Amino acid sequence: MSDAAEAPTGQGHSEAGDLVARWDAFRQREAFPAIAAIAFVILFPLVFTNLPAYNGYMSLVELIYIWAIFAIGFNLLLGYTGLLSFGHAAFWGAGAYAAGLFSVAISGDPLIMVVVAAVTAIVLAVFLGVLSLRRGGIYFAILTLAFGQMMYYIALGPLGAITGGEDGFTGVSVDPLFGVLEMGAEFAGVLGVLLHDVGYVMFASFFVLAIVGAVRIVRSPYGTIFRAIAENEQRVEFLGLHVWRYKLAAFVLSAAFAGVAAGLHTVHARYVAIASLYWITSGDIVIMAVLGGTSSVFGPILGALAFLYVENIVSGEIAFWLLILGVLFVTVVWLFPSGLWGLVSAMRTAVRRRLLEGRP
Amino acid sequence: MSLLATTIGFLIQTLAVASIYILVAIGLSITLGTLKFVNFAHAAVYLAGIYIGLAVALELPFSGDIGRSIGLGEVGLGLGFLAALAVIPIISFGLGLLMERFIARPFYDRPDTDQILVTFGVLLIVQEVIRGLVGGRSMTFTRPEWAQGAVGLGPLGTFARWRLAIIAITAVLVFVVYLYIEYTDVGLAVRAGTEDAEMVNLLGVRVTRPFLLIFGVGSGLAGAAGVVSGPVFSVVPEVGIGVLVPAFLVVVVGGVGSLVGSVVGGLLIGAVEVGLQMGAPTWASVGIYALAAVVIMLRPAGLFGVVEVDK
Repeated sequence: MSDAAEAPTGQGHSEAGDLVARWDAFRQREAFPAIAAIAFVILFPLVFTNLPAYNGYMSLVELIYIWAIFAIGFNLLLGYTGLLSFGHAAFWGAGAYAAGLFSVAISGDPLIMVVVAAVTAIVLAVFLGVLSLRRGGIYFAILTLAFGQMMYYIALGPLGAITGGEDGFTGVSVDPLFGVLEMGAEFAGVLGVLLHDVGYVMFASFFVLAIVGAVRIVRSPYGTIFRAIAENEQRVEFLGLHVWRYKLAAFVLSAAFAGVAAGLHTVHARYVAIASLYWITSGDIVIMAVLGGTSSVFGPILGALAFLYVENIVSGEIAFWLLILGVLFVTVVWLFPSGLWGLVSAMRTAVRRRLLEGRP
Repeated sequence: MSLLATTIGFLIQTLAVASIYILVAIGLSITLGTLKFVNFAHAAVYLAGIYIGLAVALELPFSGDIGRSIGLGEVGLGLGFLAALAVIPIISFGLGLLMERFIARPFYDRPDTDQILVTFGVLLIVQEVIRGLVGGRSMTFTRPEWAQGAVGLGPLGTFARWRLAIIAITAVLVFVVYLYIEYTDVGLAVRAGTEDAEMVNLLGVRVTRPFLLIFGVGSGLAGAAGVVSGPVFSVVPEVGIGVLVPAFLVVVVGGVGSLVGSVVGGLLIGAVEVGLQMGAPTWASVGIYALAAVVIMLRPAGLFGVVEVDK
């Protein structure tokens, strides 16, 4: 086993090298993303809500998971397929409204609300995808932006009577999970410390599922084709694959993530703002993904965390936080295209090198 | 009689709405055609046109967080709109040149998504700087005296003077740019570059300078659009992207790289918007997207598009 670790450095057997090799083997395992994600959702709130200076709060932790799901899905499109959508607010907003309406009209079961939101987003994505993918390349960003705004104006104008127009959709009624578990019901004892309440378990579970699902997609042959399209569309075409169909699939897939996240957000906020359909929401998700780094599944999670932290905590101190985010965003695009996650990877590589070079 | 008056009122309003879209869209269309560059920051120039224009013409209250902390209060030259109209296109032209040199050019060799992202970021920064300086609440500005009130056109009805002024200014600007593109060497290089930039390069024409100039011209038009629209709409920092979206639709409908396309696209978008505002107000903002969707399905290259932008 230790041969693999020794080979690249050409050094003798060391305990550190052994450790790195074992860690690598563990990381390659199929269950690794799930284990890492579960460890994360248990540890993260404990750290995040007890930060020494500007600490977060539980509700923000849940919000971070929800937006992270959205960002992970968005990045399947941007980072892996190389398509930049400026209209993902359409899926986020449509899913959120669908979940809200469904909770009032038919059933307020949180799980069913999420399913309804996801299905709505998927159906809409097929429709908008066919329109937006009609022209290739740089047109895609323009068309998604335009049709995203169209959804905003539809909700504001013609559908205003249903959506509540400018006031947003109020009166979302969320039932207990499975009819018995209140979302706010807290656990007792150790479970209470680790898993908090029913709502947290639900949001965290979806977050873990999103990570596992996205990693599975990315590592599958299908995901490899997404990446090939980002690299060189023409060559994929020459291989005899129908590029357009894969693009649409990536678009719909990312919209499904957005829909799930939107449904969760409606359950969480019990309100749908008209702003959820506005281009600013599309811009936010672009910023999150790019800031975090688009070359991995984990980058956008980091981006969502950073964005929401600045938006909710730092904004209390600094009024022009969005300006700071904008400058940060341009800096990342310009100089550090691998984003915050790139920073993490670089540190990881440095630590590895130190371990492998085996300082005595 | 009444029908005639309604029709003429509709036409004038359409022209006024279309004017602003056209002025903004021309720059977008040209950069998309020649440089294959999607420029979200074009809206930043429009924003600069509005706010600098208002500061030149009237006085601008600097009531944002940053503006207050510097203690700017109300600052403005108060020179009137004619002065602003003369100065702003030149300033915007300069801004355009700077933008091409320092923002666009470093990104010509990078993926399209990076170009879009960086220009989006620049737009965001400009918008937030303005919010920091001037504040985020919406402001309305008085129109200049010579353009206040209405002008009577005999039996045809009366029309807001400012609207007519916008139409006249746009007509002149578009005509000048048309002459520039049709009858100068720079224009020739630009037209050729729109058809096939690589080939023009191979023929030994240095396209960098013409492309730079035309980038500046497009920005100048966007700045002018900002000046004329300042006293019409209530002004908030978000109006930049607010006008960018319809302007993109104009490009999509009209076709990339075509001046005629931009004008026709702008008029169509304007007509649909104004028509729906009169007939079915709740659908007014939706109609233009439906129009774009129909054009995309039937004629993907746009009505006057000759080039397929597929980098």
